[in-house]
Amino acid sequence: MNVDLSSCDREQVHLVGAIQPHGVLLVLEEPALRIVQASNNSADFLGIPCELLVGQCLDGLLGGENTAAIRTQLVTKKLISAFTHLISVPFLLHRDGVVHISGNRIDGLLLLEFERTSGNVQMIPAYEYSSRLQDMIQQLHGGAGLLSFLTIAVEQLRIVTGFERVMIYRFDRDGSGEVIAESKDAALEAYFGLHYPASDVPEPARRLFALSPLRHLPDVDYVPVPLFPDQSPLIDGRPVDLSHSFLRSVSEMYTGYLRNMGAKATLVMPLLKSDKLWGLISCMHHSEPKYLVYEQRFPIELLSRMLSLRIGDLENLDQYAYRTQLDQVYSQLIGEMGWAKNHQEALFGNKINLLSGIDADGAALLEAGKVTLLGITPTEYQVGLLAEWLVQQEAGVLATHYLPYDYPAAEDFSAVASGLLAIRLSRTSLTWVMWFRREVLSETHWAGDPNKPVIINSKGKECRLQPRSSFALWKETVRGHSHPWLDCEIDYVSKLRQSLLDILVERSCQLVRLNTELELSNQALNSFVYASFHDLKEPLRGIHNYAELLQLEEDGHLSEKGHQRIETIIYLTDRMHHFLEALLQYSHISNIEQDFQTCSINRLVEDIVDLVKMTNPNDCITFDIQPDMPVMMCNQTGVKVIFQNLIMNAIKYNSEAVKTIKIGCYIINDCPVFFVQDNGIGISSVFHKYIFQPFKRLHGHKEFGGGSGIGLAITQKAITRQGGRIWIESEEGKGTKFCFTLGPEFTGIRD
Amino acid sequence: MKKMRPLMIVEDSDEDFEVICWALQKTGFTRPVIRSKRAEEALSRLFPEFLKVDGVEPLPCLVLLDLNLPGMNGLQMLEELRQIKQSLSIPIVVMSTSNNPLDIAACYSFGAAGYIIKPFKLDQYIEKVRELMHYWFNTVILPEIERD
Repeated sequence: MNVDLSSCDREQVHLVGAIQPHGVLLVLEEPALRIVQASNNSADFLGIPCELLVGQCLDGLLGGENTAAIRTQLVTKKLISAFTHLISVPFLLHRDGVVHISGNRIDGLLLLEFERTSGNVQMIPAYEYSSRLQDMIQQLHGGAGLLSFLTIAVEQLRIVTGFERVMIYRFDRDGSGEVIAESKDAALEAYFGLHYPASDVPEPARRLFALSPLRHLPDVDYVPVPLFPDQSPLIDGRPVDLSHSFLRSVSEMYTGYLRNMGAKATLVMPLLKSDKLWGLISCMHHSEPKYLVYEQRFPIELLSRMLSLRIGDLENLDQYAYRTQLDQVYSQLIGEMGWAKNHQEALFGNKINLLSGIDADGAALLEAGKVTLLGITPTEYQVGLLAEWLVQQEAGVLATHYLPYDYPAAEDFSAVASGLLAIRLSRTSLTWVMWFRREVLSETHWAGDPNKPVIINSKGKECRLQPRSSFALWKETVRGHSHPWLDCEIDYVSKLRQSLLDILVERSCQLVRLNTELELSNQALNSFVYASFHDLKEPLRGIHNYAELLQLEEDGHLSEKGHQRIETIIYLTDRMHHFLEALLQYSHISNIEQDFQTCSINRLVEDIVDLVKMTNPNDCITFDIQPDMPVMMCNQTGVKVIFQNLIMNAIKYNSEAVKTIKIGCYIINDCPVFFVQDNGIGISSVFHKYIFQPFKRLHGHKEFGGGSGIGLAITQKAITRQGGRIWIESEEGKGTKFCFTLGPEFTGIRD
Repeated sequence: MKKMRPLMIVEDSDEDFEVICWALQKTGFTRPVIRSKRAEEALSRLFPEFLKVDGVEPLPCLVLLDLNLPGMNGLQMLEELRQIKQSLSIPIVVMSTSNNPLDIAACYSFGAAGYIIKPFKLDQYIEKVRELMHYWFNTVILPEIERD
């Protein structure tokens, strides 16, 4: 049989059909007020055995006057929830003390409870009682926050009730509880801070506690008093429901439990928040049974109700203060975002950061594959994996206080992060902000081990549960749970997320705007460059044309010197023209459209070589082209410019009779490196760093065909546009080898 | 006797005009040449009735158009011509210093019949003009009917 702790919940405490001995219960039929059932102890209180009472009418027992008074009350009062006090009459047997009669209706029956306050009970005078209460209320006003308020409350309650121990017990969402305030006799063992499994106050008991404003067990070792007759007066044979009864007998499990704790008497009052059971005020007496009579209980009951009313307020106030604090942090963080360059700078400042204000142990930002950590967190690697899991979750905001149950890999770091609060800042790129909470119950005091099976009664086949045989303190490791995230915390991070997203959108709009502006200004610059070249070239061409005209038409009139000077004008304007063309070409490299396509480097090089051979028919050039160069994703126009310039360069700066040009490729770190090598004049290493500068020439204008000095600058620019780089391996007189890549290289080890 | 229709050159620069004429002469070009220094003036000559100018001059059979002109530039003139409903049967060849691909594409899209980048050297100049004239006057048949 599968027996777990929830089996306890089946015990039907309210249908026991018995009461405690400190009062008498009568069950009556209306309107005749005929007694149909009576507790077996009626003789002790009323002087009439229950056998004789059953069948009688109430006026026979109480007399006409008292019965009439009760009838009046019955007309005006509904008596459907708790027992309500009807009348108090002098004690019937000895005229000593008073009997208090209260009533309640259930299932069409009237239940009357008789409770005696004997004359020798030491009553605190009313004036003193009220002054004590006033004092208590005064004290309670001094409490700042819920916990200090409750601490004062238990102190005061112990004074007022005289119980040796008063504690306040708060339920968690799962029904388990914790002692959050305690006032006790110095000799007693402290229960403060203990956690109780949900089964210690099972669901039926919790429901009954919520119904009764006060439960009192004057003597744990009482003998239950059955009702007579034991057949139910109800037609369907159900036992009479004693849920609201003050005298109702309690669960054996409860008394057993109390015995384990060494308690002799208890008084329990519910603390309700918005009509829901929030916690309990539990008073215990350990040295002897303790009975509080009606008059003594009444003000305490009022007090517990007053506490209930304050709890909601105080808890809200605590949350309100926390919420206000989070609001302030929120404003500050968003303020930081205003000027920070990125999330990391804004959210991880020294003064204000992700951990400011919020009750979390660690925080993390994952952006563009980079993890930034703060406080107590899992490792960067673990956070990275966690983010990958988060991506599969649809929510933009995720809160859990038992992460290892949602994400089993979190077992490895549950001690530091059993609680996770995460916000997603981008769907496409992996951007998350996370807060972590430690495993809170890793070292918690449990009042009994909830994992230890309860003992089943050896005789009982229907799973009657025995109370704990021991109340020893168990240290229980509840793995994988943190304190749950509060609504205001979730609200805070949601708000933060929204604002961060808004800022992102704002920034990307700005970027689009800037890009558009940049594009326009690029276009304008481009037209400007063309227009200026045009304007510079026009007069230059005029000079050149006129000089040529002079030379052609007026040759006969010119002296030898004049002839030379005309030659010089033509030469200089030619140079100027080349210079302008080169400059235009250089500025054009940036305008080559960045469309990347697959391109066979071999075919591209062969095309260029064909062209070069055609344009340099007088040179004797040997090309040695490696046949297996790769096919690359690249910008064909750009790559053409690169090879063209390097090959032209190799031919130009070469005085050998046979010019040898070797073109090939080798691989370094998975990246192809191309080279163009010649047997030309070479370049001294002194100049290696200058040769890629525009218009940097190493030779005179009339040497080596008089280039403009822009070729290598254009080459380098074209390579940079491809994402690659160029370098030179050369020595003067030993030829030159230009090496280059057409894309980024991987410097690290790739996985 | 049928009068030969002239070649129109729209060119503001005297130097360039002189060099073109020199090159034409070198190639043995014999037709009359009329010159407009501004695009507006050229338009009025091409469309005398439209622009309410008395048509006393003969219409050109070919126009060489510079782009960089004061006032309305060559490109604007081409655009203007395109907007005039009456179609122009006279081919217009652009001669410019500009080698800006955008300029070249724009000229063709506005109906230019050709585009020549003004050469830097005179021998190239003569070569270009020779090719051009050979094409338009010896290869294709241009309208020769004179207005009455």
